[in-house]
Parts: sequence; structure tokens; C-alpha cells
Amino acid sequence: MGSQTSSSNRILGIEDSSAIRQQSIFHPYKAHLNARDELIDWNGKPHPHCKTLVDSIGKLSSNEFQDKRSAADLAFVTQGITFSVYSDCRGVEKIFPFDLVPRPVERKEWTRLDMGLKQRTKALNLFLYDVYHEQNIIKDNVIPREMVESSKGFRREMIGFTPPGKQYIHIVGTDLIRNPEGEFLVLEDNCRTPSGVSYVIENRVVMKRIFPDLFKNIKVRRVEDYPQKLRDALCSVAPENSGPNPRLALLTPGPFNSAYFEHTFLAGNMGIELVMGSDLFVHNDRVYMKTTGGPKRVDVIYRRVDDEFLDPKAFRSDSMLGVPNLFNAYLKGNVTIANAIGTGVCDDKAIYRYVEDMIRYYLSEEPILKNVPTYICSKKNDLSFVLDNLEKLVVKAVNESGGYGMLMGPSSTAAQRSEFKEKIKANPRNYIAQPVVTLSACPTWTEEGLAPRHVDLRPYVVSGTDTWVLPGGLTRTALVKGSLVVNSSQGGGSKDTWVMETDV
Amino acid sequence: MISRLAEHCFWLSRYIERAENIARLLEVNQNWLLDFDIPVELQWKPLLIISGIHDYKGNLDKESILNFMTWDQENPCSIVSSMTQARENARVIREIISAEMWERLNYNYLWLQSNTAKDLYDNNRYELYNQIKRINQLLQGIGESTMLRTEAWEFYQFGRHLERSGQTARILDVKYHMVQSNPDISGSNIEISYWTSILKSCSGYEPFLKHANIIENQVGNAVAEFLILEESFPRSVLYCLKECLNSVTAISYKSKSKISNTTIESLKTLNSWLSKDETKQLIKVQLHPILTKIVDNVHSISDSMTRTYFDFNPDDHVLEMNEIEKINS
Repeated sequence: MGSQTSSSNRILGIEDSSAIRQQSIFHPYKAHLNARDELIDWNGKPHPHCKTLVDSIGKLSSNEFQDKRSAADLAFVTQGITFSVYSDCRGVEKIFPFDLVPRPVERKEWTRLDMGLKQRTKALNLFLYDVYHEQNIIKDNVIPREMVESSKGFRREMIGFTPPGKQYIHIVGTDLIRNPEGEFLVLEDNCRTPSGVSYVIENRVVMKRIFPDLFKNIKVRRVEDYPQKLRDALCSVAPENSGPNPRLALLTPGPFNSAYFEHTFLAGNMGIELVMGSDLFVHNDRVYMKTTGGPKRVDVIYRRVDDEFLDPKAFRSDSMLGVPNLFNAYLKGNVTIANAIGTGVCDDKAIYRYVEDMIRYYLSEEPILKNVPTYICSKKNDLSFVLDNLEKLVVKAVNESGGYGMLMGPSSTAAQRSEFKEKIKANPRNYIAQPVVTLSACPTWTEEGLAPRHVDLRPYVVSGTDTWVLPGGLTRTALVKGSLVVNSSQGGGSKDTWVMETDV
Repeated sequence: MISRLAEHCFWLSRYIERAENIARLLEVNQNWLLDFDIPVELQWKPLLIISGIHDYKGNLDKESILNFMTWDQENPCSIVSSMTQARENARVIREIISAEMWERLNYNYLWLQSNTAKDLYDNNRYELYNQIKRINQLLQGIGESTMLRTEAWEFYQFGRHLERSGQTARILDVKYHMVQSNPDISGSNIEISYWTSILKSCSGYEPFLKHANIIENQVGNAVAEFLILEESFPRSVLYCLKECLNSVTAISYKSKSKISNTTIESLKTLNSWLSKDETKQLIKVQLHPILTKIVDNVHSISDSMTRTYFDFNPDDHVLEMNEIEKINS
């Protein structure tokens, strides 16, 4: 296999940059000094649930491991599992760097995460219903009215409207991090159009191809059922007038979108149509798609287009991606849109601060998953604390994602801090700050062999009439030593996430 | 199926077929020229003309033209451009074609961009063009055994055969343009060598010898008749157009489209004209006008497909939608 792989790589011009070829891969590996290591404890021994995994991968020599890496990269390249960086007219396509050492999650820990994520999703959904109807949470002074109404994701047009099945967030991607004490914390909720799930599935497919024997010895929970689960969930909240076999379509911004691969992947694996805005039209408040056999009714739209681009008549009139009058059809109850319009209010990082309160308020339960402590700059006391302690904090713009609009206090320069100070003072509502949490780390292949790199975890929660959590999720890993930023747009990679079926 | 995606299927196969045919065309010209002394500036010009390139400003020597037609990204008719277009179309519909087809096409696209392909061009050009021809053959084979026989498949087949019928006509027409610019090259020994390479470029040399009715000194007529009318030869114009008719009939049936289909009518008219005895006689005396007519018809059939299936106008379907409403309520 080895020589075949490297010769195919030569054909495709993939370079093999690493110089390390001789040593065995876990020698010497030193766990991170301040972070929890997901595989190895501070004595250099694997955690009990990782023992078989570390023993098996540890048998590989550096050479063998390199060959497997090349084989994995080649699999991603030929399958075109790439994202585009359109810096010139030809478009450069890159693979999302994939690291072969899986990130395990203990069985018991997962059970807790699964419960915590369901609890959180339930509360967020109740919150959305509430803010677009009676607004009790505001009247009872749990969340300030101003906070909700000034949120960019809040859509006044949704007030008084109830989406089919009272379901707003059919898919949530919740970003979790694990602190040095080993506790998972929620870093943010992605309730608009979270992406990345196709990599979870493809990473597993490639891992099974590359390490078939590993999966014989270690029982890992399946992730491949996601498309079917999502399809079932969406069917369960189709409009009442859509009949027994609702027609689903995935609405994509098009082939130039960086997540287009994921859109084709999901549409293909869900067995539904992949459409662009121009493939749909509205007639008498009903949505149709343009087919070679004439117009066909569409009942459920899984959209990967943001709210403001969905309907040029209702929202941004310059949008080329949307469907004119789609919003009317929606308000008439003739189509389900997933996620619902207006869920972006939950992605607001200032609103995030209140999710634990929402859980107590709506469910009368204690939150199973905790937030990272968050300072809201529009609050006077928080603001002065933040301004005085910038070098110890992470500052984030409330509506940004992908690692943009962020200041990492401890690694920032004085100039950057004073720039941010001005930005915060000019628009405090737009910023929150959090203490720096040292993310857990995982052995990751680097130019110096295996070394600890920080990781996060994004599980995907799918809700129709029931809620299901994909076991595992996307583990994103920083590839730069010491970096706490894992976003792919900032040069991060990913790993296969293994939720263990057994305790050892 | 979604109209836009049907259009991508159609163009995907056209571009792959086109890449194959450009490779064939370059090869035939190259081989033929080995035997004769023709002024350099006239050797390759006909090739540009039949590809519809009228504004070429570069050198007219072999290396420049081969480079332009093989590698030039700016030239929409080059092999590289055709493969890029094919891959862009495939990328849009990768969930419609089979995963194996996509992987293979993507692999070949990357291969064509790689140094391996460039080295082959420098050292063994014959093999490079062979490999390019093989891409289409491989994809067709993979599709044959993996792709659902839905409309998408029929659009794919339709595009392939439509493109091929036009390309076969174009390859046959090289001679016309060659003689136009080199009046003194017509002569019987040139004839035979020329027609042999035309046949070889269409993989038709042996089939021709087995099937055609060759009368002494009329090789040219026999070859033209074979490449245009031989119904058992899969690269002949008539064979391809009949396949187009089969595909579009299947599309019309499978899509249950209620819009009247002008493509079927145009194809039937064209095919029955080609099948007439008169046409066979005409080929002997007026080959170029006939080939021109075929190429023009290929364009208009492509346009009529676009009108019928790809450009969807909701206003044409109001009655149908009212029907759907009635059934639902």
C-alpha cells in the first residue's frame, strides 16, 4: 500500500513535506503542561478509555503513519472534499487538513453531553417561541428587552408567527470546549446555518478506509446515520397540507459557496433535491421548483442561505440567492423553512450569556452544561472591568463567527488592545469578553512528529418532533503550536471524533 | 429533475466528449502532415477554422497550435478548458452523477493539471492524447454500470451524442478547409492517406474496411458516407442523432413534461433527410454544404433543448399549478 500511495501522490503532485521518517510515533510524546490531554495523562499513560487506541496507533512507525496520512489526503483530494479559496479566477481548492489521531470521548461523558445539549436546545427553542410571541422572559426581567430587540438576528417580521411543529431550530451546532479540569463548557450556539457535519461523516469514512482493523477492536458509535435522521426530522415538521410524502429541497447559495461540497453531500445522502434560489418560485403563496417535468410543489426547505438573503421582496432587495415572496408563503404556513427565520437572535454572543437563565426559566432545571463566564460590554460594570483587563480576556464581536472580529488578550500587542478599546467604547453592545480558557489538547501530527494541539468539539443537534444528537461531532484542531483558535478559516484542521461504546 | 441540473448534465457530457474529440482532431492532423509537404502557415489553420476560432493571433507552427489547443486556459476550445468546464459542471451535480464518476473525473482533471501530464506531452504526445480520449471512455463505462437510469442519464447521453455528431462532421470537414487553403494538395495518393487518418482518428479504420462498400478511386466518398450514415458505427452522425432521438424521447416520457417538444420533431426531420437516397448521392458532390447543414442543425437542436427543458418560465405552467392546487385542497 505504501509505495502505491506515494506514487499516486506523485501523480497528483501532493508534496510530502515532513522530514521525520524513522521513529515510532508516540516516542517521545509529552502531554500539554496546562491543558487536559484527551488521550494521554500527565504521567504519559493513556486514559483508560484510550488505551487500546493508543496501543494500536502506537505500533505504527513514523513511516507507516506518514503513508496512511498520504492515503487519507489523497482520498480527500480525489473525492474533491475541498473548500474553495477564490483568491484568483481559477479558484484554489484546499482540503480541510485532517489529522489521523482520533479524538475520543468517554462513554459516560457523552451521555452527560447528550442530555445537556438536548436540554439546551429545548430551552433555546422555547426562548425563540417566547420572544416572537408573549415575550414573558422579557416581562419577567430575565433578559432585558433592549438586548433582544437590538440583536441583529432578531426578526420583527416573525412576531406572532408560529412555524410548523413550533420548531425553530432544526439543526444546532454547539461549540464546546474542555477546560483543564476536564469539564465541557459551551462556547457558542450556532442556530442559523451551522456547517461542518459532512466532514464528520467523511472523516469517519476515510478513517475506516485507512484503519479498518482499529474499528474491529474498538467500538465507536456510528455517525453515518445523520442524513437520514435529518431527513426524518424535517419530514416530521412539514406543513400540515403537504400530504404523506412531503417534498424536501436543500437551498444552496450555489457552487461558489465555500460549503458547496457539504450541500451536495447532504442533498445526495438525504435523497433530496439540491436547489438554488433561481430554481424555486412562488405562485399563489406556494413554493414550486422548476423541473424538466414542469412545476413541482416544495414542502420543506433546508436552507443554507442566511435570513436576509432568503427573499428579496421581504429582506435584502439586492439578494440574488433568494426566492421572491418565499416569506409570504412561509407566513401562510405553506412551507417549512429550516432553520426558521429569526433564529440568529440565539447566536448573538450577548444573548448567549443568558442561556443558562433560559434553562432555569423555561424548564425549571439546572443547566447540565455551563457557559464560559461572559462579560457584556453594554453593561456598565462589565464594560469597565473589560476595559481594565483586556490583556487577560478574549473579546469577541457578538455577531461574528469563524474567528473573525476577535481579540486574544494575552497574545495581543498594546496597539491592538488600544484599537479594540476604541471599538468597544464606540459600540459596547457589539462586544462581549470572556476569560481565556485553555482548551484541551490532543496528539496531532506536526513537523516534529506527534505533539499536543488544542481542540474544540462541535456536536450537531437535530430536532423535528423529537431531538437527536449526532454521537460525537466535529473536532476542530489548531495546527499552530499554542494556538487556541481552531477555526478552519484561521488555518485549523479536523479530527474524527470517537464516542466510545464501552468504558475501557 | 431540476431544469438547471439537467442543463449541467447535458453540458458535462458535451465538454468531456469535446475534450476527446479535440484530442482526436489534433492527432489526425499531426499524422497526416507527416506524409506531406505543406507550408507551415497552412498546416494548422483549418483546425482553428473548424473549431470556430477566428481571432487567433499566435504563431501558426505546429508547437504553438498544439499548445494553444491543448493547454491554453484562455482558449475556450482547448482540451484543458473543456476539462475544466466539464469538471465545473460535474461539481455542481456531483450528487446526481455517481460518486465513482465524480471521483474519476476529478482525478483526471487534477492529472491534466499535473507535471505528469506535461511530461507526457513533452515525451510521448501520442500517449497523452490517448489518455485524454480514455477519460471519456472510462466515464461512460463507469456511468454505464453505476448511474441511475433517470432523466439525468438521458440528458448525459443526449449531450454526448449531440456533441459527437457535430464533432464527426467537423473532423470530416478538415479536408475541405485544407484544400481551400492548399488547392494543389488534392491528388489520389494524398487522398488515401488523408482518409485513412480521418478514419483512424474516429476509431473507424477497421470498421470501415469491414463494412463499407469501397469502389475504386472513390475512397473519399465511401469514408464520408460511412462516417455520416453508417448506422452500426457509433461515431457516425446518423447513429449519434438516432441516439439523441432515443434519449430525448425517454426524457419526454420520464419527465412527464406537458410542454410540446420541438426537439423530437427537429431530430426526426433531420434523421429522415439523412436517410434519403438523395442525401447519399449529394454527399459525393457536395460534402461541405451537407456537413455545414449538420453542424447548424446540431446548434439549433441544442437551442431547442434549452427552450424546452432548461429555460423554465413559470408563466407557461399556470394551468398546471392550478391543477395541483385543486388536487391538494
